Amino acid sequence: MDNFRAGRHISQQYNDELEEIKNHLLSMGGLVEQQLEKASIALIEGNTKLADEVYRAGSRVNALEKVIDEESAQCLARRQPAAGDLRLIVTVIKAVSDIERVGDQAERLARFASQLAKHPRPKNNYHEVYQLAQHVQKMFHDALDAYARGDEKLALKIIKDDVNVDYEYEAIMRQHITYMMEDPRSINSSLDVLWAIRALERVGDHACNICEYLVYLVKGQDIRHSDDRSFSD
Amino acid sequence: MNFNKQEVAITIADLNLTYDGKMALQDISLQIPKNKVTAFIGPSGCGKSTLLRCLNRMNDLISYCKVQGEIIIDGQDIYNKSVNVADLRRKVGMVFQQPNPFPKSIYENVAYGLRLQGLKNRLFLDEVVEKSLRSAALWDEVKDRLHENALGLSGGQQQRLVIARAIAIEPEILLLDEPASALDPTSTLKIEELIYELKQSYTIIIVTHNMQQAGRVSDYTAFMHMGAMVEFSNTRTIFTNPCEKQTEDYITGRYG
Amino acid sequence: MNKPVTQLQNWFDSGEPWVWLNAAAVSLSLMMVFGLLSLIAYNGLGYFWPADLMEAELIDGEQRTIIIGEIRETETVLAQQIREAGIQLSTQEEWVRRILLKQGNRDVYGQDFRWVLEQNIVSKHYPGDLLAIERREWGKLYGRLVNIKNKGLLIKTEALYLEMQSRLTQTRQLYKEVNELLKQDIGLVNSRLEKLRLKEKRIQLGTNPLASSLLKIEEERQLLNQQFNQYQTEVQALYEKMSFDSILVQIASGQIIEVPMENIIQVIKPNSMSILEKLGYYFHRIGLFISEDPREANTEGGIFPAIFGTVLMVILMSIMVMPLGVITAVYLHEYAHQGVMVRIIRIAVNNLAGVPSIVYGVFGLGFFVYFIGGSIDDLFYPEVSPAPVFGTPGLLWASMTLALLTLPVVIVTTEEGLSRIPLSIREGSLALGATKIETLWHTVLPMVSPAMMTGLILAVARAAGEVAPLMLVGVVKLAPALALDGDYPFLHLDRKFMHLGFHIYDVGFQSPNVEAATPLVYATALLLVLVIIILNLTAIIIRNRMREKYKELESH
Repeated sequence: MDNFRAGRHISQQYNDELEEIKNHLLSMGGLVEQQLEKASIALIEGNTKLADEVYRAGSRVNALEKVIDEESAQCLARRQPAAGDLRLIVTVIKAVSDIERVGDQAERLARFASQLAKHPRPKNNYHEVYQLAQHVQKMFHDALDAYARGDEKLALKIIKDDVNVDYEYEAIMRQHITYMMEDPRSINSSLDVLWAIRALERVGDHACNICEYLVYLVKGQDIRHSDDRSFSD
Repeated sequence: MNFNKQEVAITIADLNLTYDGKMALQDISLQIPKNKVTAFIGPSGCGKSTLLRCLNRMNDLISYCKVQGEIIIDGQDIYNKSVNVADLRRKVGMVFQQPNPFPKSIYENVAYGLRLQGLKNRLFLDEVVEKSLRSAALWDEVKDRLHENALGLSGGQQQRLVIARAIAIEPEILLLDEPASALDPTSTLKIEELIYELKQSYTIIIVTHNMQQAGRVSDYTAFMHMGAMVEFSNTRTIFTNPCEKQTEDYITGRYG
Repeated sequence: MNKPVTQLQNWFDSGEPWVWLNAAAVSLSLMMVFGLLSLIAYNGLGYFWPADLMEAELIDGEQRTIIIGEIRETETVLAQQIREAGIQLSTQEEWVRRILLKQGNRDVYGQDFRWVLEQNIVSKHYPGDLLAIERREWGKLYGRLVNIKNKGLLIKTEALYLEMQSRLTQTRQLYKEVNELLKQDIGLVNSRLEKLRLKEKRIQLGTNPLASSLLKIEEERQLLNQQFNQYQTEVQALYEKMSFDSILVQIASGQIIEVPMENIIQVIKPNSMSILEKLGYYFHRIGLFISEDPREANTEGGIFPAIFGTVLMVILMSIMVMPLGVITAVYLHEYAHQGVMVRIIRIAVNNLAGVPSIVYGVFGLGFFVYFIGGSIDDLFYPEVSPAPVFGTPGLLWASMTLALLTLPVVIVTTEEGLSRIPLSIREGSLALGATKIETLWHTVLPMVSPAMMTGLILAVARAAGEVAPLMLVGVVKLAPALALDGDYPFLHLDRKFMHLGFHIYDVGFQSPNVEAATPLVYATALLLVLVIIILNLTAIIIRNRMREKYKELESH
């Protein structure tokens, strides 16, 4: 899937259009990735200023989403893409909403980060949450990377990795439930942490979705909701 | 693709065709399903029209064209010497790229094939003409001027008239050679709608340059390139996820 | 300095000069066509106009003579020329005018026309009582009516002219009756007798002639002879009746001439006719010209047999050439393998169109007349020999020769038409289960019919104007009977016929009476042109009807 095999269409204009959609998607992904990173740093450091930056980046992400949707609609209407091109547009439309949701989750994370900053912080400074954040960040980054390169093997690896995110999520959740039961005063902050990790877990799911789209894009097979996620050639 | 024996209308086996010694079709093997629309697509000169014309032996008109292999319709090889070509063509009707009504009245155009068979009963002819024109979705437009010259109709109407003419003799198979390429979009859509209606009763094979059209009307699509059958599959598959890179390149408009 | 050059250059670059050039060429052609037609029409149509009769006193040396006649032409010639011709001239002038006078009365003067020097005319006037008498023999007679005789006795009457006209009408009626008797009844008996003779001969030539059948023939012959004699006596009686009347006419020289009434066709007084009367007479003459048989070595009378012969020959030619040409074209274009052989045939056909027509005449004479016609005679008409039936030039052979002559045109145009039928139409028909012949018959040929008609138009145009080959294969200067009549088998393909083109040649160049012939040549030429135009127009109208049917197809 050498760069969506763009650059070989008879119509150079068509090429450029597809290229532009893809580039917009990737730069939107990049923006969201930054949001996610800043939000998780804000969470660890209790940095409300960074959290504000995350909010501000949100509007740019939304604007890009609109642009990509418009471009995809135009492409569908005017080019009637088929086969690979059709799959690209279909997956872009879907991926765009997943990426946008990831952005939303990052903003949510940033909100909890500002709230947690008002509470006394635990000794480990939410290290476990940070680790989870690192994990899903990497997943999301890899998913975008795989999408950019059309690397369905990497995508499949990410999908498999999602289970680990779920385990970590459940571990942190149990841990904080224990805290809440031990010390009712921690309920406030623990609940925030629970919401935060919930958001991170969702990011992992979105990254998985993007990877599933990629598999469809490259292989033309829909692997969603199937037990057999070990798709290979 | 493989079908049940009952589902197959035409079986083409190892068909080779040469024009003046030049290979035009190469080892074509294909099963065309009954009461479905099968589209032949491919770049110009890929042999799709040639293949279509083999199915009712229209290529016989060209003296330097040699055919090898088998085309089996109703259990009989149509290139067998015992086959009467006129009978075959009555069974396998054909509609051409340019609407080609005869310079006769609309009525006479539709009745042409029946008159050739020696049918003269006026009532019977009236009935068949009306039925055919209704099937071709043309009746309402021409019922008041059946005896006017068919050349006065618009291009789209002419093409539907030609289809009515073809189905008046009740063929089993209908070959459409780029039937809408000379028509405007509205007429094209009418023809496509007609194809959809007709596939209930006929096996339809359509050659088209317009891939979107093939996508819209056909159940199965065969992609041909340089006289060879590259891929034959469900139209669904061909248009979203073709197996062959050549097919993908062609339908997405890439350099092959 | 540069400006005018640029303008001229611009004008050239605009392409307008070519438009002008084309326009000039077209108008030149039109002018030539109309010029030719109007020249023929002027000279030809003037012939029928009842010209005024001039009575003039002529002085020639000491001699004074009176002349009567119509002025045909006036021209100015060199006096020297006249002197060299041996005529004395009193004037010293270099140029003199002379008049060509139709004086008629060929039986008296020996010639119809004479030149008169204008300066010799002392006095001229146009008296109303001058008669122009059209006779069956010896051409026109100009003079004054003196008296009418009946059975050698003079008739006393005040209204001499009217009396003469009424008697003339009676005589004409008798003449008509005689002619009918001669042509129809006696002709029929004659042809039956001839058939009987041939039948008898055939029986005699047979292996065992039956005496009984010969006897029967003899009986029939007796009967016919009786009938013949009966008609003969009737005719005799009529002839006698006709010969009762005659008129006495005083001609210019004062001499009185007796003209039998049966010899007169028409008498008019041109000088006292009003314009309306003249017009009536004019069209009457044209009508006679078209409907009458020729007289006086073709220099008088009508040309009906020539028109009839021309049209009949062209129609027969069309009937022969169309099927042959169309079938050939269809074979060459549709069935024949397009190889070297067909190409050679095509070249041969095209070259055939360029062969001089007289060559066709020679071929027709050699092949059709002598070879085929001779063989037919030997096989089917042994009883007629040594007289030929088909072994002599005739209508059939002339039509066939011309059919051969026009065949290339029909083949080429039909093939042209066939190649213009789009392949899609043929395929459409074949795809409906039609065989090749069905496709040809039901679809292709109807569509080619306008092209076939074009071929026919060209063929007719060529055939109707062709003279040279016909002279060898069937045309004669005077045919005794039309090729189409009431006698079985109605169409006599073996008969010789008259043709307008040949008539022109014959009258114009073979006639002893050149001056009398000249206007006739023009009139006949005009008629030939008209006949060709009518034949062509008919074909063109038919073709346009056909085209109308396929009009929209041609715009594809």
